Amino acid sequence: MDTSSPSAFVNGSLMRRYIGQKVRTVVQVIGSDVGSVVGKSTDDLQIFVKGSPPTTPTTYLEVIGIAESENSIRAEVKTNFGNNFDPLNYNELCKLANGEFKHFFI
Amino acid sequence: MANSVTQDGIATVLSSQSSSSVRPEIVVQVIDLKPVGNRYTFNANDGKKKIKVVLPATLTSDIISGKIQNLGLIRLLDYTANDIPGNSEEKYLLVTKCEVVACALDSEIKDSTGIVLKPKDKFVAKSASQRINEQSGNAAPAARMAMTRRVHPLVSLSPYQGSWTIKVRVTNKGVMKNYKNARGEGCVFYVELTDEEGTQIQATMFNAAAKKFYDTLQMGKVFYISKGSLKLANNQFKTVQNDYEMTLNENSVVEESKNEEMSVPETKFNFVPIDELGAYVNQKDLIDVIGVVQSVSPTMSIRRKSDNEMIPKRDITLADETKKTVVVSLWNDLATGLGQELLDMADKYPIIAIKSLKVGDFQGVSLSTVSRSNVVINPDIPEATKLRSWYDSEGKETSMSAIGSGMSPSANNGSRAMYSDRVCLSHFTTNPSLGTDKPVFFSTRAYISFIKPDQVMWYRACKTCHEKVTEAMYSGYWCENCQKKNEEYSLRYIMAVKVSDSTGEAWFSAFNDEAEKIIGCTADELRKLKSEEGKVNKFQTKLKEATWSEHLFRVSVSQQEYNSEKRQKITVKSVSRIDFAAETRLLLRDISKNKNTSQF
Repeated sequence: MDTSSPSAFVNGSLMRRYIGQKVRTVVQVIGSDVGSVVGKSTDDLQIFVKGSPPTTPTTYLEVIGIAESENSIRAEVKTNFGNNFDPLNYNELCKLANGEFKHFFI
Repeated sequence: MANSVTQDGIATVLSSQSSSSVRPEIVVQVIDLKPVGNRYTFNANDGKKKIKVVLPATLTSDIISGKIQNLGLIRLLDYTANDIPGNSEEKYLLVTKCEVVACALDSEIKDSTGIVLKPKDKFVAKSASQRINEQSGNAAPAARMAMTRRVHPLVSLSPYQGSWTIKVRVTNKGVMKNYKNARGEGCVFYVELTDEEGTQIQATMFNAAAKKFYDTLQMGKVFYISKGSLKLANNQFKTVQNDYEMTLNENSVVEESKNEEMSVPETKFNFVPIDELGAYVNQKDLIDVIGVVQSVSPTMSIRRKSDNEMIPKRDITLADETKKTVVVSLWNDLATGLGQELLDMADKYPIIAIKSLKVGDFQGVSLSTVSRSNVVINPDIPEATKLRSWYDSEGKETSMSAIGSGMSPSANNGSRAMYSDRVCLSHFTTNPSLGTDKPVFFSTRAYISFIKPDQVMWYRACKTCHEKVTEAMYSGYWCENCQKKNEEYSLRYIMAVKVSDSTGEAWFSAFNDEAEKIIGCTADELRKLKSEEGKVNKFQTKLKEATWSEHLFRVSVSQQEYNSEKRQKITVKSVSRIDFAAETRLLLRDISKNKNTSQF
């Protein structure tokens, strides 16, 4: 497993803990433009993603990149996560991964 | 400055929390190191300021071994500053990584100017701001009381600390019980106390103390309590999550807090959705539910078997978003008092939340109140709001089914029952006598780990009734059940498969329909593959493909005699694909159930 560049699982409200660091999150795509995507985080906050959306985008998008502010990410990797994704489960994962089970994650 | 604290370290930490990526490493002195449950807390001293610090249970061994010492110096490497709930001015640090710098110094480090900020000073500031918010009438005496009292969080109490005062709300109260034992007669009652941080503790009072405080300690009111004693909680009779329990005697002090606002979370509920109640049937754990009242029965009088006394009972039907209903039996006062209230407002379909219900198996699943049960009508919590809007928009019209009816072994709609009665395979291996009287049903998620290629996998079956057929004279096949001779038979599976999960392994028997789903083809087709010649053994391949696939099984467990020995027999009643989102929700629920709810 390549652990050279770890990214923390975040939702909208956890982003502020990792400003300047690499994060990963899944957003529901609300709108997209050339060079940027506007998404809704799993805890219903707005996230701006810098980077062009994939050519055939699905409803949910995973973004891995540097958190530039508490609501924007400069994307390095974007992956389609399909149309059937449970945002509540992912949100709970983010809370656990940053809370009492933080030591399980890099 | 290796052997001293970081100057203004605490101030630096608190001011840098807004830009969260920088975490300054500071050296602080450990003061007031003490255990709380299985974790340790201390006050970090930098010579000028003090801040409360909580250490995770993982560092407890370092403290016990003497590496981290009271009055010693440690460097905080990784931590977060959090607000103390209910107290926006104070923060505490949750330290996840630290290293020892020096062992115990002679004394507490004080600022060179000789002024040390003692906790009492901070507290005066707090009550001053509180005073500003007070109502005009009783401001003076209340503020005076607050100033002289230092309130300790419930989580910091221990049997070794003598003088504390707590500010708590009575969130549950038992009735006064009279008892007789070898030492004589007496009376006792208990209350459940909750403080602003949500920590709960049980407090018991006997005889004189019981009589003294019974009327004072009313449900829902807030009190300052001091001079009680703590001891380790008796696990058998634990009603709240706390390592300790409290006893108040005649010298204890209980003062009602009349005017101050206390943001104590009202009752902490841990709701189980109605469609998941199956797993709790006849278990000793009490559960909480929330639902819309669909119907209220009149009061019934039931004769209690133990003493022939007649006690009132009322049944109500609750429904929730899982589109399932369940009957809750209210007993005694809940039947007469609260039950009547519910009957009067039944046409408004109120939402009720009930804490501490016993789960029984009457009609599949039934809920019953116990003396500890706590019912809140239309509670002001988010789950109630969600239920209300669901019911008003769609719930009212949807046809729902009683949770008990989903417990039958009907194989077809196994999916509904797949999330109740959930167990791991270890449940079967550690309970070899399951299903001794009558078969028991469970659902379980497991992987097929082995299908023996050279077992008898199928039998010749009658095409009409599926029973076994025998070869008839000359030609054809005879079905004893239909009393008919058939030209052909069809092959039907009867297969033993080995399954595994993270807790163990077991052998399941699968019949035709379920085995078809596991293998992916009919028995006739599989037999054809077996008889095919060729380089590739397609039969083995088919079995291999079915191995290490994960399924959701509904099984029945019974006892079978085998060579005069009783053996556990597990039969697959239905198989379905894994719904990852639903499984994740189950896992999340298990995680929160197993979590140690003591916050610090």
